[in-house]
Amino acid sequence: MEKKMGVYICTGCGIGDAIDIEPIKDLVDEEFNISICKEHPFLCSPEGVELIKQDIDNEGVNTIIICACSPRVNQDVFFFGPDKIVERVNLREHVAWSQEPKDEDTQMLAEDYVRMGCSKAKDMELPEPFKAEQEYSKDILVVGGGLAGMTAALEVAKAGYKAIIVEKEDSLGGFLKKMKKRVAPPYEDLYDTGLEELVKQVNDNPNIKVYTSAVVEKTSGAPGLFSVQIKTNGSVAEEKVGAIIQATGWVPYDPKRLESLGYGKFKDVITNVELEQMASNGGIKRPSDGQSPKNVLFIQCAGQRDSEHLPYCSSVCCLVTLKQAAYIKEQDPEAVCYVLFKDMRTVGQAEEFYKKSQLAGNIFIRGTITQIGEEGGKLFIEAEDEFLGEKIRLEELDLVVLATGMVPSSQPEETPKMKAPEGAEDADEEGMIEVPPDSGFYAKPALNLEYRQGPELPTLRYGFPDSHFICFPYETRRTGIYTAGCIRRPMETARVIDDATGAAMKAIQCVEMTEKGMAVHPRSGDLSYPEVNLQRCTQCKRCTEECPFGAINEDEKANPLFNPTRCRRCGTCMGACPERVISFKNYSVVMIGNMINVINVPEEEEEKPRILVFVCENDAYPAIDMAGIKRYKWSPYVRFIPLRCLGSLNLVWIADALSRGIDGILLLGCRHGDDYQCHFIKGSELATVRLSKISETLERLALESERVRFEEVGISDYWRIPQIIEDFMNTIEEVGPNPYKGF
Amino acid sequence: MISWNNNALRDVLKEVDYAEEIYKCIQCGMCAGSCPLRHHMDYPPRKIFALLRTGNIDLVLNSKSIFLCTSCYSCIVRCPRGIHVMDIMHGLAHYAIKMGKISRKNTATFGQEFWKQIYKRGRVDEKDLSRRYFFSDGIVQGIKNALSMADMGIIMLLHGRMKLLPEKPIKGIKQLRIMLDKAEQESRR
Repeated sequence: MEKKMGVYICTGCGIGDAIDIEPIKDLVDEEFNISICKEHPFLCSPEGVELIKQDIDNEGVNTIIICACSPRVNQDVFFFGPDKIVERVNLREHVAWSQEPKDEDTQMLAEDYVRMGCSKAKDMELPEPFKAEQEYSKDILVVGGGLAGMTAALEVAKAGYKAIIVEKEDSLGGFLKKMKKRVAPPYEDLYDTGLEELVKQVNDNPNIKVYTSAVVEKTSGAPGLFSVQIKTNGSVAEEKVGAIIQATGWVPYDPKRLESLGYGKFKDVITNVELEQMASNGGIKRPSDGQSPKNVLFIQCAGQRDSEHLPYCSSVCCLVTLKQAAYIKEQDPEAVCYVLFKDMRTVGQAEEFYKKSQLAGNIFIRGTITQIGEEGGKLFIEAEDEFLGEKIRLEELDLVVLATGMVPSSQPEETPKMKAPEGAEDADEEGMIEVPPDSGFYAKPALNLEYRQGPELPTLRYGFPDSHFICFPYETRRTGIYTAGCIRRPMETARVIDDATGAAMKAIQCVEMTEKGMAVHPRSGDLSYPEVNLQRCTQCKRCTEECPFGAINEDEKANPLFNPTRCRRCGTCMGACPERVISFKNYSVVMIGNMINVINVPEEEEEKPRILVFVCENDAYPAIDMAGIKRYKWSPYVRFIPLRCLGSLNLVWIADALSRGIDGILLLGCRHGDDYQCHFIKGSELATVRLSKISETLERLALESERVRFEEVGISDYWRIPQIIEDFMNTIEEVGPNPYKGF
Repeated sequence: MISWNNNALRDVLKEVDYAEEIYKCIQCGMCAGSCPLRHHMDYPPRKIFALLRTGNIDLVLNSKSIFLCTSCYSCIVRCPRGIHVMDIMHGLAHYAIKMGKISRKNTATFGQEFWKQIYKRGRVDEKDLSRRYFFSDGIVQGIKNALSMADMGIIMLLHGRMKLLPEKPIKGIKQLRIMLDKAEQESRR
C-alpha cells in the first residue's frame, strides 16, 4: 500500500496551552517529509473529524496520525474504515495533563512522542486476516455428558450450531444420575433433578450428536480446524470441530484417606456421596443394621481446607449437607440432624436455605472433632465447641456423614514425573522431577491434544484448568478450548447451568471469529497474526516453548509450525526470538526499534536524562492514563512505549536504547506468580526472566544493572505511577549518565 | 465436658414463647454486645442459646442472666435473625420460677410485688412497694436495705415522685383487673 500520511494535532483539552504547535509542524515536515499537518482546537468534534475526512477524500490520505488524547478513548470517532491506518499519539494524558505547561522539557517530550508516532505509522502495515487452506468447521465438541455438558450442547444447538457430546459412561447424566433432588434458586425447596427431561431434549435435538461409552483419543489441529478421534466400543470415529468445551466434571475426594474421621473403621460412617446414592435408591438406612437413622451427625470440611487433604473450600458441601438433612427430616420427622462445621458457607442466595434448615430444628455446632468412637452399637463423638468454649460429647449417633469435597476430574491421582533438566536441585535418584500443575503434561487425560506443550489443559495449583475465573471465566490456556462446570471450580447445579451457557457462548464466539481471521481473546477482533521468516530460523525452540497458549508446534527438525487460529497475538514469540524473524504486520521488532531510534537524546552536558518505559498495554497503560486524568505530575524525561504484552519485549530493544545513550529503562507489567494478572498469563513473568539474563550482559558492557528495572503495576495502581517514576529517576541520578551518550 | 441431650429441650420449647427461635441463632453475639447488663450476667444471651441447644436446661434455669433482663429491647432491635431474645429471656425466667429455680430471689420478689401493686391499685405505690421488697428477707435486713436507699427516698419525696399519703386505686380498677385476668388466662392457654 502506497502510504500518504497526515498528521492532525488537537489543541483542545489543554494541549494547546501546554505546548507550541508550530515547532511540531516543522519537525513533521522536516524529519518525516509529511506535508499534511493540521491543527484543530476540537479534533473529536464533527468539524474536526470532517477536516480529516476531507483530506482522505481530496488528498488521498490513508495513514492518519492523530496527536490528541489517549488511544483508549474516542476510538469510534477516529475510525475511518478498515483500509486506513490510524496511529494515536497521546499528547493529553502523557503530556498536557501531567507536565508543566510551556516548559522546554514538556515541548521536547511532546516532540519525541510525535516523532515516535510518525515513525510507528511509517512502519505499520494493514493486517490481512488469516485464512486457512482447509475449510473451517463451526461444530462444537462437548467432552462430558453431565449437567454442564448437556446444557452446553443444548445451548449450542439452540443457537443453530451443531454439537457433539462425548460421554465416557454408557448413558448421559454424569453425577446427576446419582442425585435425588437438587437445591436451586430461590432456595426455598428441593427440586427434582430434571435429568430425564434433559436427556430427552438432548436426544431429540437433531443438532446434537451423542457418543456414549466413548473417549477422545486424539485431538489435533487448531480452533476452527480441530480434528477429533473419538473411540467408542473399539471403533474410532473422526469429527471435525471448531471449538471444544471440556465439561468433564468432578470426582469425590477419596474418603479412604479420612481414617481419622472413622471412615472405614466404623460401618456407620459414610460420605455425603454415599448418602446421596442411598437417598435416591430407596431410602437412607444405617449400613450396619438397615434401620432408619434417628440421630445423624454431618461433619463439614471432611478434608477440605486442610493442607494435608484438599487445601481449598469446596463451596458446595455445606449446601449439600443442608439438602441431605432435609432428606432425613422428610424420611423421619422425629430424626435429629447435627452439623459440626468450621464455617457454614452457603454461597450466594443459598443463605435462605440455611435459615430454613435451622428452623427445621437441625442443630449447628461450630467446632472441631477430637474423637470418634463406638459404644453399644452407636457412635459417639467428642469435639471442641467454639460457641460454648468447652468440650462437648454427642452420643447415641446412628449415622455420621462426612461432607467430602469436589476434586476436579483433571487432577491426577499421582503427580506425573518428567525428566529433570540438568542441574535441577529437587530431582530424585532417577533424575526425575514432578511435573508442575501449569504444564500441559500434568492433568489427567481427557482431550489428548497434539500440542507441543502437552496433551491437556494446564491447571492451577489444585488441578483446576486455569481460566482466571474473575476476569475471564471459561477461558483456558488453550485457545478455542473452554471449560464449564465443576472442572472449573466446585459449584452447585444452578451455577453449573449458568456456567455451561457461558462456555457455549464463548465457543460460538470462537468459531465465528476464527472464520473471520480475528483473534478471540483478549485482543478480540485483532486481525494481525505472527508471521515467521523460516529461512533465518535457527531452531532454538524458544518460541515453541514460551508461547503461553501452546500455539506453536514443532516438526521433526524443530522448525516452528505456527497455528494462527490458536494464537492470541500477544507477541511473546516475537519477544523470545533471538533472530528476530517473527513479526506482525502492525507490530514488529523493527517498528519498536525505530521508535526508540527517533527519540532525541541530548548531550551529557545538558543534564537532561532520558528514560524509556515499556508499558503493558492492558493494565499499566490505562493506569498511566488514569494518573494523567488525576493530574498527577511526573518527570518530563520519561518516554512511554506501549507493548501488546511485556512478553513481547525483545532484548534487542534494551541493547539498542542503551547504546543510543538512553540512561535507564523501566518495564511496567502485570503481577505474575500464583495470583497473576497478566492477560497473557506468562507474559510479564517471561519479561522478568529475560531481564535477569540481561543484567549479566549489562555488567559486561560496564553498564550498571540498576539501569533496567521491572515494576509490577495493576490497573488500579495509578496512584503509584509518579512514585515509581520518581524512585527510578533517583536511582538513575545516583548511577549517573549513560557513558554511551554521543557515540 | 458438656453432654448433649436433645430430649431435655422439648418442655422448654413447649413452655417458653418463641423458644423455637433459638434454632435460628447464628451465634454472632450481637445480643450480648448490645445488652447493658452484660457485665452482671454469668452467661451472655448468646451463650444461653448455645447452652439451650445442648439441652443443658439446668445450667440455663439456674443462671442469673435470665432474671437480669430489663426489657430494653436492644437485642431484639439488633438481632440480624430477628429473634425475640428479650421475650425468650422473660419466658425462661417464668419457666425457672415455675420449676422452683430462682437464681436471683430479689429480682423475682420485686417483680411479684410490683405485679401485686398494679393488680391492687392500677398504679405503683412507691412506699408500699419498697417496704415489701426491702423487708422480704426479715426485719434486720429490711432496715439495712431501707437505710441504704434513704437518700434516694428523700429526693423522690422532694420531687413529688413519692407521696406521704397512701396512693388511691385508679378509676375503673375493676375493668383493669378484668383485662389483666383475661390476659393471664390467655397466656396460660
